Amino acid sequence: MRNRVREQRTQQGLSQSELAAALGVSRQTVISIEGGRYLPSLPLAFAIARFFDMTVDKMFDPADEEAGT
Amino acid sequence: MMRFIRPRLRKPVGIALFGTVYAAAWLVHGGNGWVPAIVAVVGTAAFAIAAYVRGGRDSDEDALYGSRTDERQQLIAQRSWALTGKVTMVAAFAGVTAAVADRAGWWWPFAVILAVGGFSYLLGLSNYGVGEEGPADDADDGHQVRSPVKR
Repeated sequence: MRNRVREQRTQQGLSQSELAAALGVSRQTVISIEGGRYLPSLPLAFAIARFFDMTVDKMFDPADEEAGT
Repeated sequence: MMRFIRPRLRKPVGIALFGTVYAAAWLVHGGNGWVPAIVAVVGTAAFAIAAYVRGGRDSDEDALYGSRTDERQQLIAQRSWALTGKVTMVAAFAGVTAAVADRAGWWWPFAVILAVGGFSYLLGLSNYGVGEEGPADDADDGHQVRSPVKR
């Protein structure tokens, strides 16, 4: 599943550590989410979307998975 | 009980407790049991200090040592424990099977591990919600419900 976490973070000039601290998760988890290797829980997905003032469906795009099915 | 201890100290305290109990078992054993007891105390003390030091570093494993995991790290730990449980059960099954084939008397520790593992699995199913689902909202209550799907 693609997401726009890295794009939004860099647009706002934040480091992965700063975003991790703001979300209350580890830097490694932010790296995994950005790389698409970890799908966050619903509460964390909402927290990420809220942090960047976006909706969850704008932040996380399931298009890749749907195209593969 | 561990909640009252600072997160970074939880793993070291747990390790120290296990080491102390193991060392005490050697002391109760008597004879030259004090030698392995000292080895156990020194070994677990070193392990506990190493766990405390690692608990302050910045990696997934160190977050586990420091008891400050986020949801992803908790998931990793849960998967790792699940694998541990599976491997332990397979090893115990292999042990009990080998003992039975060998007509040996040491089959029962493996059987105990299998029994405890099986009971823990059932306890886990019960604790984590299997069987809690209620009837479906559209369960047949005697009325003919028209299907929303047009044929």
